[in-house]
Order: sequence, then structure tokens, then C-alpha cells
Amino acid sequence: MNRDPSPFRTASTASTATSPTPKYANLTASTNLRYSLTRKSIYDRHLNRTKTSELSKSAFAFLFGEMVQYAQKKVYGVQDLEKKLNLHGYAVGQRFLELLLWRDGRTAKRETRILGILQFISHQLYRAIFQKQADTLEKVRENEDEYMISDNDPVVNTYISVPKEMSQLNCGAFIAGIIEAVLDGHCFPAKVTAHTAPNEMWPGRTVFLIKFEPEVLEREALRVGS
Amino acid sequence: MAGSSTSYYFVIIGTKDNPLYEAEFGSFKQGGDGIPKFREEQRHMNQFIAHSSLDCIEDQQWASKEMYLKTVDKFNNTWVSCFLTGGNIKFLLVHDTRSDEPIRQFFADVYDLYCKTLMNPFYEVNMAIRSQTFDQKIKAAAKKYL
Amino acid sequence: MSSTSRARLGEEVWKLRTDKINAELVTLTYGSVVAQLCKDLDGDYAEVNKQLDKMGYNIGLRLIEDFLAKSNMQQKCANFRDTADVISKVGFKMFLNITPTIVNWSSDNKQFSLLFDENPLADFVELPDDGKAQSDLWYSNMLCGVIRGALEMVQMSVDAHFVSDVLRGNDTTEMRINLIRYIEDEMPQDDE
Repeated sequence: MNRDPSPFRTASTASTATSPTPKYANLTASTNLRYSLTRKSIYDRHLNRTKTSELSKSAFAFLFGEMVQYAQKKVYGVQDLEKKLNLHGYAVGQRFLELLLWRDGRTAKRETRILGILQFISHQLYRAIFQKQADTLEKVRENEDEYMISDNDPVVNTYISVPKEMSQLNCGAFIAGIIEAVLDGHCFPAKVTAHTAPNEMWPGRTVFLIKFEPEVLEREALRVGS
Repeated sequence: MAGSSTSYYFVIIGTKDNPLYEAEFGSFKQGGDGIPKFREEQRHMNQFIAHSSLDCIEDQQWASKEMYLKTVDKFNNTWVSCFLTGGNIKFLLVHDTRSDEPIRQFFADVYDLYCKTLMNPFYEVNMAIRSQTFDQKIKAAAKKYL
Repeated sequence: MSSTSRARLGEEVWKLRTDKINAELVTLTYGSVVAQLCKDLDGDYAEVNKQLDKMGYNIGLRLIEDFLAKSNMQQKCANFRDTADVISKVGFKMFLNITPTIVNWSSDNKQFSLLFDENPLADFVELPDDGKAQSDLWYSNMLCGVIRGALEMVQMSVDAHFVSDVLRGNDTTEMRINLIRYIEDEMPQDDE
């Protein structure tokens, strides 16, 4: 891969003239923040402190519903609204990814294969966030670059009342954002979308369709047999 | 190499090869005074060495499931060690003495500090990390292990 | 109903009648909402506070039903002191699993403060180091709106606002709640 020249230097490294001010001056640490005497900084708090903490599901539902209401005012149509929900989920997913791997400590592993990262998402990630595994993980037969994860009863659908004008809205876009963030972050760039796929037992059943970028498949093909 | 003391250059690199945080440490071990002993040219060289190692890391990260990749590149008498986070953020340490385990412990502390930085909703991936508290704690970790 | 039995009720509702969810999911979702607001409103923290309060108010209007249904409280509160007790021991307990301490009653019993030694919405948070956020932003302001909206639905007009927040470098996180008036049933209005 051709890298851009180092962002540290703007002059040629062959030059023996006085070097320009290195860009790293931008990274100088500084702070104007006041810290409470009683409360430690975020760096003193243990990352496991709220590992098993719980709140009420309805607290989440109310917050999520209001998030949808607010986003709705700034968009033109359902697709835009789903994009906004995806962005919120994305921010959440980026954080859970690092938090979960940190919590694995010395045994933490990075996934290097498609199936590995998808299983991480449908098992560990899903269990950590939603206290259950995803219901299915499948490969889409017709398309090489597509996989599906399903959730029979996504928490984002519980109690959420969707505004009438937005009856097509799939709140699962939020979870799609979480999944997309984990895939992008772990170097498996993909687009993830949520689709309602009810069955007899589960009217709220949602399928997350994962479509990988071509470079992921190319890399996967190179690694077959290794 | 009589009288030479170990100095380290540490950089956190984002997903777009952009530096997010940098620091230099001198070793406190074996009578060292903790002050990094890099001359100006060496400083720039360290940045160059770190940046150049990114290509090697890209190859190696697909051959291993480890987050701590140990030494990934060598340039004359200088090594580059790397820790790769779940979100593909790279912690790079440029050093002139090999010590896998202390460096692993240092990176573990850095990962803890990075996660705490990221959990803050006002911090976004790939932003520079300018917190003074973060800087102090990184330096404390370096003092502890390196 | 005594204070102790309210505490017991709160515990009971939390333990037996509440579906639960990972707290960190809520914390991070709330964080994403606040961060997005700050971006949308260009760092105008006064506007962010207003918006958070408004969103909270909308939540409060609906949350009260959930509260009444789950807590099954038959009797209206006899006075504002009782209301405070219920808010802390039952309300906050069943939604956020915390019980903020009630302090600083005014002599007319119309104002009190809630002291939060725990605040799940603010876990992991550090305000932006931009010279403004720490003096202007009330990160958890949505909670003020929730209380205002919920109490309005049970005939109380209140003002709720934060007076201190550990995120701003203060030693405590304190919300002041002030009873403006009890809302009587609507009398026929003059056309004006």
C-alpha cells in the first residue's frame, strides 16, 4: 500500500537545513479543566466499575424514543432518519468494541477472518450489550459479500412508538450502526442495514444485512488455507 | 555503548496514519535519570522510523490474532514495538533495547488509558489526545515499566 | 406511607417489576445524544441545555404513566415533602437504580435539592476543554425536564435546574426543585 508521506514532516528528510517546526507541536498536552476534589478524573475510575450495572429498559426506551423524535425534525424522510440512528449506534459501537477487548485482558484477540468477527458480534458483543446472543448468523447464498445477523426481539423496538409519518422507520438502524462500527473499526469495512422480517412467533424480528467492501473479500481470499 | 542510556519514543497512531499523541521517555532503570536523551535529529528520525513501520504492521496484523505484536520493525539499532487495539489504533514504541514483557505491560496500561479517553462521548476516534491527565499517566506508566 | 416503606416499594419495583438493560448502553446512548446536540447547536451550550430540558420534558409527560402503573401508588402525596420522597426513593430508583439524597429544604417546604452521588448518565464523561463547557453546559439537564414534565402530569408546576455538577469541577451534583404552584382543574378561560 502506498502510504502518504509522514504527517510529521513537511520538508524532505534529505535536507540538512534547519528543520521546520515539527507538526507534533499540535499534540502538546494542556488543560483548562477544573476537577472536583471529590470526584476522580475519568482516568482514575476503573473501567469495570459499571460492567454489570443495569438500568430499566424503559429508561432506554424513553431516551431512544426522544432521540428519534429529535432527529426526525432535522431530516427529510425515513432513510435520512435511519442514517442518524445509525450514526448514534456507530458512536456506541466504537466504544463497546474497545471496552470489550480491554475487558478480555491478556487473552484478548483480534479477529482476522470474516467468520471470526461476525461470531464475535453475534455472540460476545450482542451478549455484552443486550444480555443475549443474536438469534442467527447466516451467509447470503446469492451474494459473496453478504451476511445476515437476526434478532427476534431487538430492544430498540420495545415500547418505542414510531411517529405515524415514519411508519417505515426501522429503529434497528441504531443496532446496524453498532455492528457497522465494530466491523469498520476492526478493519472489515461494511455497510449494515436493518430490515423487518417478522415471522409467526416474532412480529418484531429484525435482520441486519451486512455487505462487506470488496477489499475485505480480496483479503479473505488470500488467506484461505492459512 | 558505554554510558548510553535507554530512551524511548512513543506515539499513538489513528486509523488514518495520523499521530494522536506523542511522548519521549528516558529509562529510570540502571541509574538512568528518566530524561530522554534524543538529539534533535534523532527525534525526527524516531518519527520517521515509527511512520515507516506502519507498512510492516499492516502485513503482520493479518498473520496474527494478537493485539501485542511485539517488535514489528528494525532500523539499524532501533526497534519498533506495536500494540494494535480493537479499533485499529496503533501504539508504537521506538526503542533501542529489546524487552518484550515490560513493553507489553506498558502497552496494557496505555490501552486502559486509551479506552477511558474513548468512552468519553466528547472524544471521537482519531482526535488528538491533549488531556494533561492522560499525559501524566502515560509518563507514570513509562516510569513504572520501562 | 412512611419513608421507609417508600424505600421498600422502590426496591420492590426495581427488583420485581422492572425489565432491565445494560446500563452502559444507556450511558453511551445518552452521551451520543448530548455530543450530537453540541455539534448541531455549534457549541451553544445554553441552547443545548434548553434542548435537553425540552427532550426531558417530553419524556416526563409519558414516563409518569409508566411510573404510576409500575409503582401502583394508590394515594396522592399529602404534601410536597412526600412528593420529594417519592421522586427519590421510587422514581429514580425504578428507572435509574439510584436514590439521590434530599437536602436543603426551604423554610416554606416548597424547595428542596437532590444530591446525586451517582449519576449513570455521566459515567465516563469529561466535558470538552474549550473554556466554555465547564461554565455553560449542564450535561444531565434532561433529568430536570423529566421531573418537570412528570410532575406537571400530576398537577404540580415545578422548576428544576442544576446548581452544581461534578463534571464542572464542583464537589457535588445538585438539582434544585422548586414548587411554583399546584395546578387546579382548568376554569373556563376569558377570551383574551
